[in-house]
Amino acid sequence: MGMHTAPRPARTAAEARFRLIRSLKPQTSRTQIMITVLFVILGFAATAAIRGTSANALLANARQSDLVSLLDDLAQREARLQSEINRLESARETLLGGDQYQALNEAKRRATALGKLAGTEPVTGPGVSIAISGNLTASTLLDAIQELRDAGATAIQVSDRNLDVRVVANSWFGDSDNGVTVSGTALEVPITITAVGDQSVLTPAMKIPGGLEDTVGAGGGTVTISPGEDLSVSSVVPLPNS
Amino acid sequence: MIPAIGLLVGVLLGLVLHPTVPVWLQPYLPIAVVAALDAVFGAFRSVLDGIFNDRIFVISFLSNVLVAALIVFLGDQLGVGSQMSTGVVVVLTMRIFANVAAIRRHLLKA
Repeated sequence: MGMHTAPRPARTAAEARFRLIRSLKPQTSRTQIMITVLFVILGFAATAAIRGTSANALLANARQSDLVSLLDDLAQREARLQSEINRLESARETLLGGDQYQALNEAKRRATALGKLAGTEPVTGPGVSIAISGNLTASTLLDAIQELRDAGATAIQVSDRNLDVRVVANSWFGDSDNGVTVSGTALEVPITITAVGDQSVLTPAMKIPGGLEDTVGAGGGTVTISPGEDLSVSSVVPLPNS
Repeated sequence: MIPAIGLLVGVLLGLVLHPTVPVWLQPYLPIAVVAALDAVFGAFRSVLDGIFNDRIFVISFLSNVLVAALIVFLGDQLGVGSQMSTGVVVVLTMRIFANVAAIRRHLLKA
């Protein structure tokens, strides 16, 4: 390794070229033959190494530690999947065996819960009743409904003296002459919003600064919020034809 | 001249024979090749310096290859094989660049 450790002073390029040409002359000594053999081996090994790299896949060149960590990953993944299989199999056995009607009851429970959300089932329960009189615009009502939804109301109904309208995901609001239109039904003020949900959350939601009370109050109207233990959201929307 | 032909013969042999590198040799072969290239460039430089000695070249060639493989083997045993290979390749490549720069200065005066 130490054959060019002593740098020489620079010589002329012509001299260097002369040395190069002189070294190209065929010589036959034992070390020359040895050097030739080394060069043959070098060419062969370089070609083999290049071919080996291009031909082998990632795994073949990976080191032992890399392979071990790969194997670890696979084992962990297998354990996760195995536990998921166990969970799903036990769920399957619960549904198949035991109470014959368990699956049916579960499906019915889900259908009821979804029906409440979709507005196809009447709902009774604790909640708040909000009476609004005076000037009410559709955007104010929409804001109030959004606020009630955010506060966790499960069912909402808007009614005037004669009509009830259930508020669902695709309900719409518009202004009309004597009040607001909800999903095509014209309602006259004063109107009442009935919302089933947690009273302790719904009541503050209506009273927050800039909320329903402030907006309606600024327009000269009044808002009366009364919690109830057994409110009834009785109107339903028809099931859409599927 | 004859060694250059030898190099060509080696490459042709490799292309024709399609050698399969044995698994135990796979981590060491690329390092050994780079180490040998370092020796070759060093020899080329010393030819231009006028201090070339064929006996020293043979010994440095073999010792370069052996030491490089040994370092990588040691790294594998210590569990830092890939880092050690990278380190050896970096050092050898730096030496090759230095030698090529010297050769360039000799031949082109630039």
